[in-house]
Amino acid sequence: MSELPPDLPEEIVERVQHMLPRDLLHDLRTPLGHILGYSELMIEQMKDAGNEEYIVYAEKIRKAGRELVDMMKANFQSK
Amino acid sequence: MPKILLVEDNEMNRDMLSRRLIRRGYEVAIAIDGQQGLAMAQSESPDLILMDMSLPLIDGWEATRTLKGAIETKDIPVIALTAHAMSTDRDKAMEAGCDDYDTKPIELPRLLGKIEALIGKLA
Repeated sequence: MSELPPDLPEEIVERVQHMLPRDLLHDLRTPLGHILGYSELMIEQMKDAGNEEYIVYAEKIRKAGRELVDMMKANFQSK
Repeated sequence: MPKILLVEDNEMNRDMLSRRLIRRGYEVAIAIDGQQGLAMAQSESPDLILMDMSLPLIDGWEATRTLKGAIETKDIPVIALTAHAMSTDRDKAMEAGCDDYDTKPIELPRLLGKIEALIGKLA
């Protein structure tokens, strides 16, 4: 934060601290897409196969991935 | 069966999204860069193109501008897909000629809604 002017209001400093470089946000979204997409595909295929035993695990992976996406949306904006 | 041309350089994105679209009854053709995407838009005559924007050789913006400037491909709907999620990214895609825009991670029901809005629901 040394580049920031010292007289910036605290509110502004806090907002800037929550900004992530644009490329980093892009790079986070790509593997998150893989986690969500493949877990949803697993759920669909296991439902088709009547394999109820492992659906719960795939649901947990999907839920965790979705939480990460929501967290990213709620807390970070790109520079 | 409607044919979708997926132009995407990331192997896992290609694999995952094509499998999910095929499961829903679409035929999927795949191009791995913008140059191949332009060639396949001509040779495959897809009903719709899903265009990643950050592509090697020819990026998605330039590829879309080329498609929309060619008489053979100008009427093929193009949905831009990008992991950049700012409003300026949407504007940039629409200015290039994309018919719609969606962000990664893909939410399949939302994307399917956009596809259906452009080419109609599957019978």
